[in-house]
Amino acid sequence: MENSVLLKLVEELAQKLDGEFEASLGTPVLKIKGARTTEALQAARNFSGTPCEFLHDLTAVDYPDRNEIEVVYHLTSLRGPQMIRIKAVVDRNNPVIDTAVRIWPGADFMERECFDLMGVKFNGHPDLRRILLWDDFEGHPLRKDYVTPSVEERKRLRIMQPGE
Amino acid sequence: MPQFGSDIFLLIANWIRGLFGANTYAADVVMDIVKFIMIYVVLVLAVMVFVMLERKVCAWMQLRVGPNRLGPRGWGQIIGDMIKLMGKEDFRPDNVDKWPWALAPMFFLGITIMVFAVLPFGRGMVPVDLDLGIFYILAISALSVLPVVTAGWASNNKYSLLGGMRSVAQMISYEIPLVFSLLGVVMITQTFKTSAIVEAQQHVWFVLLQPIGFVVYVIAAMAEINRAPFDLIEAESEFGCGYFTEYSGLRFGLFYLAEYANLFLISAVAATVFLGGWQGPFLPGWLWFAIKVLFMVFLIMWFRWTFPRFRVDQLMHFGWKVLLPLSLANIVLTGVGIYVYQLIFPGIGG
Amino acid sequence: MLRTDEIQINIGPQHPSTHGVFRMLANLDGEVVTKVESKVGYLHRGMEKLAESRTYPQFIPYTDRLDYLAAIAANIGYVQTVEKLMGVEIPERAEYLRVIFFELQRIASHLIAAGTNSSDLGGMTPFLYAMADRERILDMFEMTIGGRLTVNLPRIGGIIEPPEEFWPALKKFVDDLPGMIDEFNGIITGNEIFQARTKGVGVLSKELAEGLSITGPVLRASGVKWDVRKNAPYGIYDRFDFEVPTGENGDCFDRFVVRLREMEESGKIIRQAMRDIPEGPTFAKVAKVVKPPVGEIFHRVEGVRGEIAYYVVSDGSTKPYRLRLRGGSFINIQMLHHVVPGWKFADLIAILASLDIVLPECDR
Repeated sequence: MENSVLLKLVEELAQKLDGEFEASLGTPVLKIKGARTTEALQAARNFSGTPCEFLHDLTAVDYPDRNEIEVVYHLTSLRGPQMIRIKAVVDRNNPVIDTAVRIWPGADFMERECFDLMGVKFNGHPDLRRILLWDDFEGHPLRKDYVTPSVEERKRLRIMQPGE
Repeated sequence: MPQFGSDIFLLIANWIRGLFGANTYAADVVMDIVKFIMIYVVLVLAVMVFVMLERKVCAWMQLRVGPNRLGPRGWGQIIGDMIKLMGKEDFRPDNVDKWPWALAPMFFLGITIMVFAVLPFGRGMVPVDLDLGIFYILAISALSVLPVVTAGWASNNKYSLLGGMRSVAQMISYEIPLVFSLLGVVMITQTFKTSAIVEAQQHVWFVLLQPIGFVVYVIAAMAEINRAPFDLIEAESEFGCGYFTEYSGLRFGLFYLAEYANLFLISAVAATVFLGGWQGPFLPGWLWFAIKVLFMVFLIMWFRWTFPRFRVDQLMHFGWKVLLPLSLANIVLTGVGIYVYQLIFPGIGG
Repeated sequence: MLRTDEIQINIGPQHPSTHGVFRMLANLDGEVVTKVESKVGYLHRGMEKLAESRTYPQFIPYTDRLDYLAAIAANIGYVQTVEKLMGVEIPERAEYLRVIFFELQRIASHLIAAGTNSSDLGGMTPFLYAMADRERILDMFEMTIGGRLTVNLPRIGGIIEPPEEFWPALKKFVDDLPGMIDEFNGIITGNEIFQARTKGVGVLSKELAEGLSITGPVLRASGVKWDVRKNAPYGIYDRFDFEVPTGENGDCFDRFVVRLREMEESGKIIRQAMRDIPEGPTFAKVAKVVKPPVGEIFHRVEGVRGEIAYYVVSDGSTKPYRLRLRGGSFINIQMLHHVVPGWKFADLIAILASLDIVLPECDR
């Protein structure tokens, strides 16, 4: 089965990069330190036999109790059904990770979105700005400790203040 | 054979002249005023019909019903639209160049109305039968690029400016094939006089003698008045509304009126030059003229609702590389044809 | 030589051909676009944040509001994700019904895509034709569940059984479909002006398309034979026999034609599904309170505008810990920055039209 080949490749990669390996519902998951992301992505891209060369999705999950943010890469291929998930763990207080734009130009918008909503900074991104929210928005709403403004507060914001 | 009804307007005109007796000078002045009013009334009525026709034709082609509420089968809609347009606030955006901005729609309509002076609406019904009729039509209608670019420039809006700039390129390029396409007919008739051209088509319409000229004329004229598929100047999917983006209310109404007046104009010229003008059996001449104009209007609407729009460079290529050589070839062909005809029938026509 | 300045022109968020509140800043040198910057986010509603405070079934109606032209695609993608996470097997009949509705939705959406593509190029009439044909699909949705645009059709564990009169209507529609596509080919695909406007315009190379993570018809038009339904089947798509249409040049014309041909293939799938559909229940037994086990799942379906993928992290409660939506539009938009510079302003509109984006899906 292709999948077992892939599982083995990912397991080897996990050992090489001091990462953790698991299989979640059949999908190989590689959990690594944020600093080794580029290596892991490059390696996954060049897996012999089952390359995962297509960046399908890039997102982040916030874990305040562990004080971590996981940047999650889903790599698939346009040549077969293989798929792997790479989780890069970064510090929640200072989430910095290397950009993937140099590998996939398509990571541009996904990283900007991740920065916008989760506050992860991507080193080397050519144009890291907010994309979905407006430029002077405060906070990163997808973080678990983000407090949504109350209805009264939002009502107050909607009314244009004198001089605005 | 005198046709019933064909002389109604002439009788009225003679009656008015008769009121002044021997004072021909006063009669001429009064007649000129009457003619001007008549042109205006005919124009506005025709535009009302065309606007409604456009909506009905477009609805018919798009499997829709179209306006059907106000008046019989929705034909009252146009009155409602006019009242709405006139009732709008006269809104002038800040920072427009005030006078050019305000004058552009008036000039646009004014120029169009001027051309109607030489159109033969029926036998003996040419408001001003100039010897240089065709020449006059081309000269005046070439002016209409000016108000368009003025409106685009004065609006102080990038969309309008781009629309206006496109209009200069487009209208000037298509002016040339337009002129050349009419030249073939002028070569055959050896006159610029519109009434004489119609008279010359008593036996055969020039669309049969000049098929290439007719096709080139229709295409170039559609580009000249910015009808789809040559409506790059408005190009609503690109520029919003092109040069009249900043106009609303009655000023927009004037542009709208002028646009349909232009449609009337090119259809009328086509009817006059290629389709035999008022010539036709049984029916009065002015009715024949109206039928031919309506046919041309329908044809042009049909094109509009069928074709997508050209791109600006493709439009230029088409104008300079296809239409212009074609119209030049037509002139050469016509010249050869006339020469051969004169060899076979010496002394006839010429 | 005459020195000229570039002008910066703002297209959108209110503009007839940006298909919603999409905004572009284009630098124009005369008619030529030198740079384009896309601004999204005018329709951002924080779907991913909303999901964290809704239970799993409560979030199904929200997925309707992602892509208003293909609500069922997002619906089915979501419920399949949750079912996969919970390990629920749904009945055969429900699987077939899902395929039928998914493909109907694909046809409806591609009809709009083809129609708006031609109306953006100035030909209004084909758009109305497309609308009239799509109306029949919406009528079928209406007779099934009452909704037309935001249908909210599938549930976790199954799908609603359509009424009796649905089947004759479906059969008639599928029989008429080739005729509709022929009519479309006649009025717009074969048109000289349309071909002049789209052939060779906005070429997206295969390599760039892969690098930009582009999916869906846009990817296939660039010559990549990739369709999740075929290459990594989900549901029961491995039982159907259909082609994956691809383009050769990756230009606007190919993107248009690929969509038309996909409609034909969808018609083929529906016909096979109608032939094979078994009798039986359409709902599996699912607990009243949906409570997936701890874990995470990434599930993708071949949506209409690209692959729709959901990444759900469950902490064992009734609400998702994190729900990530990946839609085709958001990522496909990036193509504009790479492809548009150098083309004319009118081509920018043509390229955007051929991209067929839907902004609610893009902004989420």
